[in-house]
Amino acid sequence: MTERFRAGDRVLTSRADPLHHTRLPRYARGATGTVVELEGRYPLPDDRSRGLPAAPEAVYAVRFSAAELFGAGDHQVTLALWESYLRPFPGRGQANE
Amino acid sequence: MSRINDVGGMQGFAPAGQELDEPPFHADWEAHVFAMNRALIGRGAYNLDEFRDAIERMPPQEYLAASYYERWFHAITVLLVEKGVLTAQEVSGD
Repeated sequence: MTERFRAGDRVLTSRADPLHHTRLPRYARGATGTVVELEGRYPLPDDRSRGLPAAPEAVYAVRFSAAELFGAGDHQVTLALWESYLRPFPGRGQANE
Repeated sequence: MSRINDVGGMQGFAPAGQELDEPPFHADWEAHVFAMNRALIGRGAYNLDEFRDAIERMPPQEYLAASYYERWFHAITVLLVEKGVLTAQEVSGD
């Protein structure tokens, strides 16, 4: 299986606010970050926590500026995020966002 | 909707603090809870994500009042009843 993203890619995190378990924290939703590296392949916790079939998928270290997440701060925050939480940035039709 | 565990970036909590020479467990029962969880996940009674989900489903007031391993114990008992391993009566000891 091939990974959708590579180190250096800009990505946008999901804005979804699911009712179930997820590993994408609220403070990192709808945020733009940069892929640092592939960390491995693991089943999506959102599905596995609900007893759904969950094939291993790519998990990336994604780096964000604190200002992007919290509106202030000059440090960086790196999160381990499943591929399902990410889409390319800028995506189609949002180059001007 | 986000649940009570998802407090990253929220203000108003006391500093996390750091305990010098912190022991692995602060009471024997905590070690038992830790071992029980390892054994149950190892036997396939539930998986780690179901365990985390069960902690996050705690009523917010109970979650905030509970210690780390009290949350674990809560999740274990909830899951064992939901999975049909134990009955609610067996858990409560009635």
